[in-house]
Amino acid sequence: MELNIFVQHFINALSLGSLYGLVAVGYTMVYGILRLINFAHGDIFMLGAYFVYFATIVYKLPWAVGVVLAIIGTTICGLLVDRVAYKPLREAPRISALISAIGVSFFIENFAVVVFTGMPRPVVQPPILMKPIEFSNGVRLIPLGILVPVVAFLLVGALLWLLYKTKPGLAMRAISFDIETTRMMGVSVNKIIALAFGLGSALAAVAGIMWALRYPRVEPFMGMTPGIKAFIAAVFGGIGSVPGAMIGGLILGFVEIMSVAFFPTLSGYKDAFAFLLLIMILLFRPTGLLGEKLEDKI
Amino acid sequence: MKSVRNLILTIIFVILFAVFLEKAPEFLNGYWQRILNLIAINAILALSLNLIYGITGMFSLGHAGFMAIGAYVSALLVLSPAQKSAMWILEDIYPFLLNVNAPFVVSLILAGLAAAFFGLLVALPVLRLGGDYLGIATLGFAEIIRILITNMAPLTNGSLGLKGIPAYTTLFMSWGCLGIVLLCTVCMLKSNFGGVLRAVRDDEVAAKMMGINTFKIKVLAFTLGCFGGGLGGALMGNLITTIDPKMFMITQTYNILMIIVVGGLGSVTGSIIGSFLVTTMLEWLRFVENPITIFNINIPGIPGMRMVIFSLLLIMVIIFRREGIMGMREFSWDIFFPKRKIKDFESKTETVLELQDVKLKFGGLSAIENLNMKIRHWEIVGLIGPNGAGKTSAFNVISGFYKPTSGTIKFLGKSIGGLSPDKVCQAGMSRTFQNIRLFGNETVLQNVMIGSRIRQKYHWWMSLLPFVFTDVIKEDAEVRAQAMNLLDQLGLDAFADEKASSLPYGAQRRLEIARALATKPRFLLLDEPAAGMNPQESEELMKFIRRLRDEFDLTILLIEHDMKVVMNVCDYIHVLDQGVHIAEGTPEEIKSNPKVIEAYLGAGASEGSAA
Repeated sequence: MELNIFVQHFINALSLGSLYGLVAVGYTMVYGILRLINFAHGDIFMLGAYFVYFATIVYKLPWAVGVVLAIIGTTICGLLVDRVAYKPLREAPRISALISAIGVSFFIENFAVVVFTGMPRPVVQPPILMKPIEFSNGVRLIPLGILVPVVAFLLVGALLWLLYKTKPGLAMRAISFDIETTRMMGVSVNKIIALAFGLGSALAAVAGIMWALRYPRVEPFMGMTPGIKAFIAAVFGGIGSVPGAMIGGLILGFVEIMSVAFFPTLSGYKDAFAFLLLIMILLFRPTGLLGEKLEDKI
Repeated sequence: MKSVRNLILTIIFVILFAVFLEKAPEFLNGYWQRILNLIAINAILALSLNLIYGITGMFSLGHAGFMAIGAYVSALLVLSPAQKSAMWILEDIYPFLLNVNAPFVVSLILAGLAAAFFGLLVALPVLRLGGDYLGIATLGFAEIIRILITNMAPLTNGSLGLKGIPAYTTLFMSWGCLGIVLLCTVCMLKSNFGGVLRAVRDDEVAAKMMGINTFKIKVLAFTLGCFGGGLGGALMGNLITTIDPKMFMITQTYNILMIIVVGGLGSVTGSIIGSFLVTTMLEWLRFVENPITIFNINIPGIPGMRMVIFSLLLIMVIIFRREGIMGMREFSWDIFFPKRKIKDFESKTETVLELQDVKLKFGGLSAIENLNMKIRHWEIVGLIGPNGAGKTSAFNVISGFYKPTSGTIKFLGKSIGGLSPDKVCQAGMSRTFQNIRLFGNETVLQNVMIGSRIRQKYHWWMSLLPFVFTDVIKEDAEVRAQAMNLLDQLGLDAFADEKASSLPYGAQRRLEIARALATKPRFLLLDEPAAGMNPQESEELMKFIRRLRDEFDLTILLIEHDMKVVMNVCDYIHVLDQGVHIAEGTPEEIKSNPKVIEAYLGAGASEGSAA
């Protein structure tokens, strides 16, 4: 394989992987705290993409403004989902919240069909992100390919700082360890849970925006497959672990891009790799790469 | 007789319904017939997923994959060679596949068996997982099945799908299949085997202690459920006459999940009602996507609105009535009639249990160091020690929940170290738990009956057709009588039909003992039987423990913190402190042992008391 082609694949894998990672972080935070698979997370990601589309392409706002508005809008939606569909079910058996999550996912997708119509819409990429940079050894890169992983790593770095160096971060880690005890310690648990949903949704919004730029179109069901794969990435990395989610996302991105790059005949099976990877890790290390072991007390 | 009355009512209902189906084509148009068919098919799918999830408690999101297998197997068998050769355009069909053909009914059975076979393949590795992980793994398998179908064109015609499948699914076919599935499910769930399934759902740990190989039970239930999924998929394919891989996306599984949640998880009746409601609702809601005219005003149809309303309804059901319509209740003819009131054991001085140098380590941490114990028949032995001494760990090693790191455990002369709890139970040992672990959703009687399952001889599959295999009815009746007898002896007979979780605390403790006794043990382990009891209750408990030993010819090992109970009831006492076996002897010896006093009250105390 030529160097140029390999570098292209590498950058592709890196950006796809970091996008999976960004979405996976949202799954892992919510699961770590509430033991809930937030099935609607992929649809939150879709909303982020639509919001930026409407802000910049329909209403012709500058990109910077559009991106900020989209992140704020998506975060509000994420918080609303928690408030309306999950908060009333905190004391209910976990399956109830899970079914509610499936319902919310259905709702957001179809609501998007009603409001935005089911037609895929093309996204106009800002030319500055698409102008290839050429290196002396013949390698050509587009700035977007570098921007995506850089933004993703910076954001996850910032999140880790928040989790490990600040008080709300400490509270969040305490809740994931024992929600009842944390409540006794005088921590406003609902606020911290909302914070987790807000942060996860903001990161999903950023991922959605970058996804819309890379695969330049938006459609109501665009969150389904990336959502499930990001969840797989979160499980792979060890659910509950933020660095694990990022690592899981990157591994998944590399497996998908590289397997097709080296074995083009397998391209039809591309989507199966993620699931095979998932089942393998569940069988041999159910807690994922960085997850902690939990045992039933008898 | 009530059961005869109910049977007659059921038969009358079935005949009336058959007449209705016979006459239906005369007054129902094709559209309504199709909805009726869909209700029956969805009910089959819901029942099968409910068996896996609602009854046995395995969260599976893979049903769509098994439906796909069933639909393809059946379609490939009923399509004629001419149709097949015309359909495969992009790639050639495998030659052997071109000419295989089977009648519809045979194809249905093969479709179910194929799905069950794949279900078994999936279950063997995946069911070692629990909870959400199981859900995600099964979802993964369903997606892999779908991707394989899309890519294996010579077998499945790839993404083009199969068209022109003969519409063999008539009303009689779909409802007939539902009738058979329903009959088998109800019979199985009513038998003691059904109780075992629910026990695995409610408390897997306790079920293991009842001698149940829970893994085997889960694999069985999963495979049976997959059979239903394949059958439903096949009926579906022969109803809509077209199938393609996109039909079997995760959304399909969600639909079925919704039916069982709306109807009530774990309720057979609920699955039927749920499929009726969800199917008709989904059809009826189509009106919002069609243009309507009211008073000359045209309201255009809004695409997507149907699912928006539907998903909102689902969220509302979950938030405001999360147990669904039926909860876990079932339909019975009895609701139409006023209520009326209703209503063996096997020498002495031999060694029952012997522990030699048993060690248990968790990583570097030593929970038990060199435990040696010899318990003789008819003895009541106490195991005491301060908190964290390793008492419950010792129980867990003896009863098979933990494998000893080293050392031997001999029970009735056989080595049992490292056997699983169900094997240990089958060898004749039973236990209770510190934190009561009853099957909370079952009645008191059922809890005890589950304990008897390991002594029953009939195979699980016989419970599907109890009228053929009458052993099921006979053995269940015997077990019921024995269970009633046991409840009677323990003074729990008045509670027989109450839900176990609704009993007062003391009664729950006695029920746990009754359930343990139902496995006919020779050796009983009691983990803190007096926990949470007042002095009067513990007084009664002491008498009760001695009576147990005498009436059931038992040897008993008990953990207890209440020293009054221990000193009064035990013949012999072992003391643990921080995993170390520090003393053993008669209650008198233990009372004056300085090591024991030190362990309980700290260093210095023994000198004080000696002085």
